[in-house]
Amino acid sequence: MGVVKRKTLWGSLSLGITLSLALAGCGGNTDNSNAVVNQGTKDPASNAANADNGSAATASDDLKPITISAFIGSPNQQPTADNRIYKKIQDELGVKLNMEFLVGDLQQKLGVMIAGGEYPDLISADPKLVTAKAVIPLEDLIDKYGPHLKEHYAAYWNRMKDSSDGHIYWLPNYGAYTGETHSNSYSGPAFWIQKNILKEAGYPTPTTLDDYFKLISDYAEKHPTIDGQPTIGYTTLAYGWQTFGLLNAPEHLSGHANDGGVVVDDGVASVFATADIAKTYYKKLNDVYNQGLMDKEAFVQNADQYNAKISSGRVLGMFDQHWNFQGAENELVAQNKIGETYVGFPLTYDGVKDHYLDRGVINLNNGFGISKDAKDPIRIIKFLDAQLDEKWQKILQWGEEGVDYQVDENGKFFRTPEQRKQQEDPAWKLANKAEALLGYAPKIEGTYSDGNATDAGSQPDEFYASLKPEDKELLDAYHHKTWSEFFSPAPENPVYYPAWQIDLIDGSDASVANKQMSDASLKYLPRAIMSKSDKFDSVWQDYVNAYKKINVKAYEDRINAQIQWRIQNWTSK
Amino acid sequence: MASAPKAVSSKTAVMTAAPRSSLLKRMRSQKQLMIMSLPLLLYVLLFNYYPIWGWLQAFQDYKPALPFSQQDWVGFKQFKFLFKDDTFLLVLRNTIGMSFINLVLGFVTAIVFAILLNEIKSKLHKRTIQTISYLPHFLSWIIVTGLVANALSVDGGIVNVVLMKLGFIHEPIMWLSKPHYFWGIVGASHVWKEVGWNAIIYLAAITSIDPSLYEAAEIDGANRYRKMLNITLPGIRSIVIILLIMNLGWILDAGFEVQYLLGNGVVVDWSQTIDIFVLKYGLQIGNYSLATAAGIFKSVVSITLIFVANTIAKRFGEDRLI
Amino acid sequence: MRTRTLRLEPVVFQSFNAIVMIALAVITLYPFLNTLAVSFNPGNDTIRGGIYLWPRVWTDQNYRAVFAGGTIYHAFWVSVARTLIATVLSLFLTSMLAYTVSRKEYVFRKPVTIIIVMTMYFNAGLIPSYFLIKDLHLLNSFLVYIVPGLISAFNMIVIRTYIQTLPDGLIESAKVDGAGDFRTFFSIIMPLCQPVLATVALFVAVGQWNSWFDTFLYASSKQSLSTLQYELMKLLSSASFSNSNPSVANGNNANAALNMVTPISIRAAITIVASVPILVVYPFLQKYFVHGMNLGSVKE
Repeated sequence: MGVVKRKTLWGSLSLGITLSLALAGCGGNTDNSNAVVNQGTKDPASNAANADNGSAATASDDLKPITISAFIGSPNQQPTADNRIYKKIQDELGVKLNMEFLVGDLQQKLGVMIAGGEYPDLISADPKLVTAKAVIPLEDLIDKYGPHLKEHYAAYWNRMKDSSDGHIYWLPNYGAYTGETHSNSYSGPAFWIQKNILKEAGYPTPTTLDDYFKLISDYAEKHPTIDGQPTIGYTTLAYGWQTFGLLNAPEHLSGHANDGGVVVDDGVASVFATADIAKTYYKKLNDVYNQGLMDKEAFVQNADQYNAKISSGRVLGMFDQHWNFQGAENELVAQNKIGETYVGFPLTYDGVKDHYLDRGVINLNNGFGISKDAKDPIRIIKFLDAQLDEKWQKILQWGEEGVDYQVDENGKFFRTPEQRKQQEDPAWKLANKAEALLGYAPKIEGTYSDGNATDAGSQPDEFYASLKPEDKELLDAYHHKTWSEFFSPAPENPVYYPAWQIDLIDGSDASVANKQMSDASLKYLPRAIMSKSDKFDSVWQDYVNAYKKINVKAYEDRINAQIQWRIQNWTSK
Repeated sequence: MASAPKAVSSKTAVMTAAPRSSLLKRMRSQKQLMIMSLPLLLYVLLFNYYPIWGWLQAFQDYKPALPFSQQDWVGFKQFKFLFKDDTFLLVLRNTIGMSFINLVLGFVTAIVFAILLNEIKSKLHKRTIQTISYLPHFLSWIIVTGLVANALSVDGGIVNVVLMKLGFIHEPIMWLSKPHYFWGIVGASHVWKEVGWNAIIYLAAITSIDPSLYEAAEIDGANRYRKMLNITLPGIRSIVIILLIMNLGWILDAGFEVQYLLGNGVVVDWSQTIDIFVLKYGLQIGNYSLATAAGIFKSVVSITLIFVANTIAKRFGEDRLI
Repeated sequence: MRTRTLRLEPVVFQSFNAIVMIALAVITLYPFLNTLAVSFNPGNDTIRGGIYLWPRVWTDQNYRAVFAGGTIYHAFWVSVARTLIATVLSLFLTSMLAYTVSRKEYVFRKPVTIIIVMTMYFNAGLIPSYFLIKDLHLLNSFLVYIVPGLISAFNMIVIRTYIQTLPDGLIESAKVDGAGDFRTFFSIIMPLCQPVLATVALFVAVGQWNSWFDTFLYASSKQSLSTLQYELMKLLSSASFSNSNPSVANGNNANAALNMVTPISIRAAITIVASVPILVVYPFLQKYFVHGMNLGSVKE
């Protein structure tokens, strides 16, 4: 057979990507705070004043030109050599960035980098690098040379400390908010249902699984085909790393926030995969399946097929994170099938309050760190501090005034249709945006001191401009202004939230158990759902037995130990 | 050294133990052969053998963050984890099963294809078909499996549509959720992707067959099938045997990409291979030592197998790998 | 045959064979044509599925995305250079080694064969290999593409097997004429081995051309050493990433409608860009093994 070159387990192209996505996927499990969160920790006005001082200070600072090498642990495209924004940074801040981006598998790349013992100046976060002592503590540097950084992270200072030795190694790239956070669309988890169904049923608000599937079955009965193809009542995606559509629903139905594989009650985490809250949901899916409403191919399909089905407009509903099928939904919009796009509802079991929406959390163990090989850490901190200035944040996030955006008579930023269009052109972006730096560097999120949203995506006017007439009609019928209003406002986060962010430690019993649990779920849940109604209980019993063989406790213990640690170390203000 | 060619003209002559002095004499006469091969042997020892010290990490809890000397030595823990797991026998069965199917299907289809292609008279047609047949080799598995999944879909997939039109089945079959079809689907996908590529080597071998043999057979009145059977097949016999022995050594390398991309929870008991197991419980959770341990296990099996196969081939008087 | 009675059999066979071959050509051509069609179809439209042999809407945006960075032109020449140099060197050294182990009288034949063959069945692992490359000062050097993989055990065995099928008399008569092994190898074996050398050249060249992992491990921080496949891998990784990353996919509908280039469409365009140059080479090699050599003339 393909005997020419023996493929090594390491050396596969697509698998490397699958892997790095798997890792990205864990992080992608949640955090979709799109509610209007008023952080309230800072007064925008005083923030602005400080920012002004800061920029004055930076200007007089020593700006001797420097080249900073950086490794970015995600695949991005190399910007063009004459990229407008990077050039501006080089001209005005004296910093030339020499970036290397990940290709293939991150863990592999880091393994080799650590083994070789040589690092670039700036490096994106990974716990391995701390263990390897590849990065230096940043607290003192920030204290002395990073006034913007110090203020930016003031509220999160304790959380940023590494749990092993109390030093700060990483500068989180997301989740430090300033002013008001606008969020209009909702990209988190929900039970999604087509807008046509709601319209036909007179805009009801389903709150339970029964309400939801009643709407779907009534509609499917009336419309056995959509655009000539058979209607699919409900589908789910459980392929590769994209398994949350199948696995995460029970925690939301039972009113818990998204903690990944566990639910946390009174600070104690437990695995819910075989709990009653899970059984109730999958039993319901079993009923739905035997009713003929569930997609027969749900557990066999890959992500491409799932998206193709959704974009054909004949899938009535599914549980998923919005961003996971957004591409398919965009395609429906492009075909002007607005009625076949979706609204998300926070379904719960009877009498339980929903907790789908959550507040943004600081993106710990992410962003940049400075390596032990960096020749001039002070200069690097000064650079990261300078780019956090509002002036530079606007350049990085919005672009240059008059070129990338306009300012109206009220001082509001907006983009012309042409400017919006060029933001969509990948080739243009490589030459005109500093996306990689923006993605990993500390950044202001929320609003600037002049009241503009920090980036175009969350500027309210940009959102309203994008709504279609059908969307407006639907929102009006529910008396809502944004999609996130379908959900209860996000309560204050518990101090340890979210549990999914906890590192399970490579190769530990906890991480082995985690794998075994997801294997067992992917093996038995489809069988249970697709079994005859009277067989469900016995398959479920097999499932429970399979879990009994797994060291679930090792997994729970690790999570609980970290939750306790967080409560002790993070509670102090 | 005029006697040398005569001495080696029969296999047995080499095998008979030569006295020591004659060995030295032969070595002296083979200076050129040694110059041609020994530096390259050193090269292989350096690039392929020297790094084997890395196998030691199979007996450690290897963490890349620490220098080698500070690693935790754990003895046979990794091997125990590998062999003790309930699923190990299952993944071993799947690996061997799929490898075997791929081996047989891959050989048979490539050989038949090469021989049939050889029967085509028109050079242009021959070349065109050969070029087309090896195109899928250049597509990645992710593309090919995507096409396979679409072709097998219950939702208008070509396979179900055709079978229904022909009246073989009355409702679409969910091919990819039937565990017992999985090996066959993987085997067929391999054939689809690689048959043309695998045939190249046999086509090259066919060219070494002396055309006068065909002419002689024709005079004897042999028909086409006789010639294929009695001349073409024996002509490529050595390469077939050698490739078979070599491939036998890869029986535990059923791959992981196809199975990973086509597999799903429903068929996992038939789709999971050793490599996937190692990927999940080794590489994906940072346990590099497990991957090394599995690699050692596979190497031991491979090398045992090729020596056994080689001995069997020798006994039957066939060509040998070693 | 024609001169004898016209028999039905050859006609039946030829038609049967033609049908089989055409069917095979159709099913093996399809994936490539499908990839070609997808590569010319807008990515967001491809999500809907149903692209077979022809794009639904023509676009060159996928190819524009591939060529946008401008880095792949230089990388293309690096790939050409490494493929040419490594193929010539590897072909020469591997066949020379193959010749020595094909000589039954060679005293080291067995140990050399065993040592080389075994390399097919083990793999030392990433980290030790990395250290070796580092110690040899091959990191971030063009030589790292050439030096480590010059000898392939598989190819050596293939060539050896071919040499062994050549008539023994050839070499013996050369020896009688007083030719040393070098001369025998160059002037008799090499010319006679054209078909198998063409095959092995193809194997080596395709392997070299498609390789990106060595760039990833050993030369990723030096842009001037980047190869075509590595640039294309970068592109593919970044397309897959931005499509599946919540923080990128986040945001409102206005700027989310932008994913014109999706992983599926970019992968298709990349596949075409990467494979066309190597496919072009093939017909040139093909003549060596479709024609066949007339060994009879050299035989005695």
